[in-house]
Amino acid sequence: MKVFTIFLALLIVFAVGCTAEAPNQVKSIFIEGTSGGDAETLNWILAADATSLSYAGYTLDSLATYDNDWNVVLRHLDKPVEVSEDSLTYTITIRDDLWWTGGIKVTAEDYVYTLENLMFSDWLNYPYKTDWQEVVEGETVFIEAEVTDETTFIIKRQTIAPEFIDNAIYSLTPYPKHIAIKYEGDVDAFTQAEEFNNLTYTGNLGPYRFKEWVRNDKYVVERNPDFYLGQDTGAPYFEEFITKLLGTPTAVLLALEAGDIHYTGIEPEQVAKFMQMEGIKVYTVPTRGYDLILYNQRNNGWEGLRIKEVRQALSMSISKQVVIDSIHIGFADPAFSFIPNASPWYTDEGVPTYGYGSLYDKETAKQMLYQAGYGIENPDGTLAIQGKDGEPITLTLVTSTGSNISENIAFLVKQELAELDIEVDIKLVPWTTLLRQYVMNKVPGSDQEPRYNNGPDAVSEDPWDMVVMVFLTHPIAPSGSQVFYTTDGGLNYWGYSNPRVDELFINVRSEEALDREVRKGMYAEISQLIAEDQPALFLTFPRGNHGFQANVEGIDVGMRLGWNYHEWYFTEP
Amino acid sequence: MKQGGLRGYIIRRLIYAALITLGVVTVTFFLLRVGPSSPADKYLANMSARTQDPSQVIAAIEARYGLDEPIYEQYIDYVVNLARGDWGWSFSTSMPVMKLIQRHWIYSFQLILLSMLFSASLGILIGIYSAIKQYTKVDYLATFFSFIGISIPNFWLGIMLILLFSGTGLGWFKVYYDTGLPLFSLANLKALVLPVITLGTGMMAGYTRYARSAILDNLRKDFVRTARAKGLPERVVIGKHVFRNAILPIITIIMFDLSGVVFGGAYLTEIIFGIPGLGRISFNAIFANDYPVVVTITLIGALVALLTNLVTDIVYTRLDPRIRYD
Amino acid sequence: MMRQVSNKVGGLRNLIFIGVLLVLILILLSDIYLVDQILEPLEYFYLFFAAVAIFYGIYPLYANRRLTKYYWQRIKKHRLSVIGLAFITFLIVVALIGPIFTQDPTKVNFAEKNVPPVGFTVQQFVYDLQAEEFVVQEIPGTWQHPLGTDDKGRDMLAMLVSGARVSLQVGLLAVLIAVFIGTIMGVVSAYFGGVADMVLMRFTDIMMTFPFFLLLVFIIFIFGPSLVFIILVIGLTSWTGTARLVRSEALSLRTREFIMASKSLGASDTRIVFRHLIPNVISVVIVIATLSIPGVIVAEAALSFIGLGDPTVTSWGVVLNAGQRSLDTAWWVAVEPGIILFLTVLAFNFLGDGIRDAFDPRSQL
Repeated sequence: MKVFTIFLALLIVFAVGCTAEAPNQVKSIFIEGTSGGDAETLNWILAADATSLSYAGYTLDSLATYDNDWNVVLRHLDKPVEVSEDSLTYTITIRDDLWWTGGIKVTAEDYVYTLENLMFSDWLNYPYKTDWQEVVEGETVFIEAEVTDETTFIIKRQTIAPEFIDNAIYSLTPYPKHIAIKYEGDVDAFTQAEEFNNLTYTGNLGPYRFKEWVRNDKYVVERNPDFYLGQDTGAPYFEEFITKLLGTPTAVLLALEAGDIHYTGIEPEQVAKFMQMEGIKVYTVPTRGYDLILYNQRNNGWEGLRIKEVRQALSMSISKQVVIDSIHIGFADPAFSFIPNASPWYTDEGVPTYGYGSLYDKETAKQMLYQAGYGIENPDGTLAIQGKDGEPITLTLVTSTGSNISENIAFLVKQELAELDIEVDIKLVPWTTLLRQYVMNKVPGSDQEPRYNNGPDAVSEDPWDMVVMVFLTHPIAPSGSQVFYTTDGGLNYWGYSNPRVDELFINVRSEEALDREVRKGMYAEISQLIAEDQPALFLTFPRGNHGFQANVEGIDVGMRLGWNYHEWYFTEP
Repeated sequence: MKQGGLRGYIIRRLIYAALITLGVVTVTFFLLRVGPSSPADKYLANMSARTQDPSQVIAAIEARYGLDEPIYEQYIDYVVNLARGDWGWSFSTSMPVMKLIQRHWIYSFQLILLSMLFSASLGILIGIYSAIKQYTKVDYLATFFSFIGISIPNFWLGIMLILLFSGTGLGWFKVYYDTGLPLFSLANLKALVLPVITLGTGMMAGYTRYARSAILDNLRKDFVRTARAKGLPERVVIGKHVFRNAILPIITIIMFDLSGVVFGGAYLTEIIFGIPGLGRISFNAIFANDYPVVVTITLIGALVALLTNLVTDIVYTRLDPRIRYD
Repeated sequence: MMRQVSNKVGGLRNLIFIGVLLVLILILLSDIYLVDQILEPLEYFYLFFAAVAIFYGIYPLYANRRLTKYYWQRIKKHRLSVIGLAFITFLIVVALIGPIFTQDPTKVNFAEKNVPPVGFTVQQFVYDLQAEEFVVQEIPGTWQHPLGTDDKGRDMLAMLVSGARVSLQVGLLAVLIAVFIGTIMGVVSAYFGGVADMVLMRFTDIMMTFPFFLLLVFIIFIFGPSLVFIILVIGLTSWTGTARLVRSEALSLRTREFIMASKSLGASDTRIVFRHLIPNVISVVIVIATLSIPGVIVAEAALSFIGLGDPTVTSWGVVLNAGQRSLDTAWWVAVEPGIILFLTVLAFNFLGDGIRDAFDPRSQL
């Protein structure tokens, strides 16, 4: 017995004392840490989650990308996309020096095949195929693609869409036709195809090549010596780029502090601590997401929400500054409309700033509610807010679990509105329940399939009044937000409707909008109208915080931090 | 008679195990499909940024994975495939289920094996020592500490250990487990120290108590008095005679614990230390409604449990001729 | 007439119990069909099992005072278990009347977020985007929030007190369900033997081969995390250990003389099961129950840790989970529930160990 104990003790001492370094102490391995979820698949055309697309993206560039000033930077494109006079034909020329693994040249054939036979197909059901559709005489059709020569193909539209290039073309990446053709039509075979699941075909199309994917643990790509952009510069400068999945957010930050990883995102509360550390650099950048609270204007929401002044009053009672300071720890800009201020289309002229500065005023809010019929005057002159039936107003606020910020926002709203004697009942539900019960809607009694917008008379399964959400706006092509703010918008599930806004969103995609000044004016008017109408309470545009080890250089800091990640390198530690 | 009986017994138990496994698989399979969530949910969650018709999306995803067929057909297909050795395709991780398990089982196995060795050996030692010195300060101290061990929730202990000993604490260990380390290296062993302590501390208290009471029970028996009367040194009395009699119930307890530990405590430890074992895989599969993985892992868990029970029972009969199997 | 009825049903006590049960069912029915919501579903469970505990647990202890005293003497010898019992009593008192004295645990106040406990002072940072630097504020602990506040400004003391109630409910109810089912299964199986035994034991085997925690996560993920559900599921999946132990205990009892005597005197099966077997296995059951409670409480905390806890209740697990993210900026949010969880589990373990030694006739104390 005693011998055994001694042996055990020795073993432990041995293990602890033995500070054998892990074999991969080669300096040029870059490790990004995250506590999020793993990707689903490297067969990116099947994936709907962002992680899968980003994993595949290490080995495959797209046609073009943007730098931090939103200038277009060509990748697989040989020269900028040529747009015809009538803005209906786009000519795309790819580089001459791209090839798949095995030396097979990448041609326009691959692109057109990927579009027509894969992305537009029924048997694959590509999640983002709506980006390539247009409505012609009431019918939804796909655009047409045609090969003109080995490195050129054209895309033909029937309707004008000034932002089509930004929305769809630049992010286009091909599948290899000579491999995909073997699996065509057979979704099972395509799903399980070795080549696609191990990214063995990527040739010189990206800075890295697939090396290893240990599920729920790490994704490893190794330097691609044939990288088409690296022939002169020698980029990328890391031997390996590892995305390491850690189990808890605490572990990720500890790892950054200890130097076990080189990069991760940092939550606002932790930033102060990391900014003070010697060996860590924190970069604060704007993001294109914004948090907002939607007011349900459909029939199963509180009737008061269908009145503009009531919505404005509610928005005036909730302080954006508190959201910025207490919830985002100061790392956010107030949002009054849907376009971020980094966008060239942004304007703040004529945009009312409800809930901020002088327009954060509960007394005026009470006045407005009273005038809308939702209050009575007390004998002492003060106002008491109540519903038209004399009962206190209770609103249902829904938010999804899993986001601490959304939860905090929900509780803040509750606290603020309590001062107006409005009770807020918070419902915390998982995201998919939120989608199924509160977002998807249909006309009651009909046998429609629930969709995100089944028309003005549709309602969701469960009644609700407000929901906390995060939306994204493409800073260069904000017309994509029409899915939210037009009456028939595919994601307008809270029933907002303003015919002038609808009109403007159509104009923004028409011929006259090709003139940038005209377009800017249109966007300005849309921003003003939406801010006036307050279909939603716009809260903030949060900033993102990225923590790097101090010896990582070459980072271009801005909203699109990472656009040139193949140029990052280590200085001596 | 003994040999023939033993063989028949084993065969009967194996058939019985197979039936139970089938039952477990069936229950799991239907449970998974009966709830309101479906594998399309993950798609749905990401799809909300696009305007595709959700019902269309769900229909397409279900068609893609063969989930739109009547459930009985799916079940039969699944079982038939299982028998043929095709364990299905995991759609949340895009790889064959069998390969997924092959790649990851070793991480759970080494963690659990080492934890059991650690907790069993230490626990038994402390238990024996405690029993011998019953009611002395040592006994109370040992009891006290083993209780503390069993009372700290192991996810909490894990986080505390990381804060204290890894990274910016004492810096002895890396914050996360590195799967690149060769399995039989000292570095790997070192990387497993904290996880093993986390997982093992909880199990240890149980073993201490059982060992203690088992030894105590035997200490009062006649054969001990006889051995002492014969003049044998205490060391031999305890080491040889008492221990041999006490070992049986202790082994039983260890075996019973094995299957429970595999997916319970090990899972939380795996999450905290970033070990990609079967625990983590199975839970991620649950959250993604990836039913081939969940059913297969449950099946494996059931098989492990049944087989360890069988082995324990056989060992029991071997070691104690007084017990008959029937 | 009463005497005849009470004799048929097996005693006055059983009669009163059935009466109470009928009242409960009446309230339940009127709840569903007539009035809105008199009691929450959780409270029905509570009352039912409280009734069972009172009639079949506490009352027998009272009736057999000498026996109770004997056991109490034995338990007292175990100093640790007495400490455990004291702590648990304290906790129960706090859980019952604590909420009256504390603030509202759900009241948020972002102006008072992350206030440290009394006696500590922390620095809070808010970033000024224009100046590109942090504005630092010193926040001292105050007696208004003696244990501090969380990141939404909710009072920690209030949340912990409310959490005591939740954790105790979860622990007691889930264990009661498990023990209830397990006892019945074990006794019936042992007494009737034969086919009944085989069927019940095979069923128990199947349940046992499911890994407990996996099953828990499984079912709660599929059907949604609500507290009632969590309690139910924990209870329905953890009765197997009890069943086995009760069965072996009952098996050894079955062959004892007093049972055989009863049988030869013509006592019916139900009578023997309920009047003789069950009361005698109670001691084993109590030990198992006390020792299972800590496991259940930790299981609930673990569920919250992986995000499957009920987000609408304030349980220690939920607070712990929310707090572990900000261990370095607001350590008290995670440390406080961690400590109290640990102490509670420890107390139950001490008590259970003491009870087990006390009830075990073979151990000399």
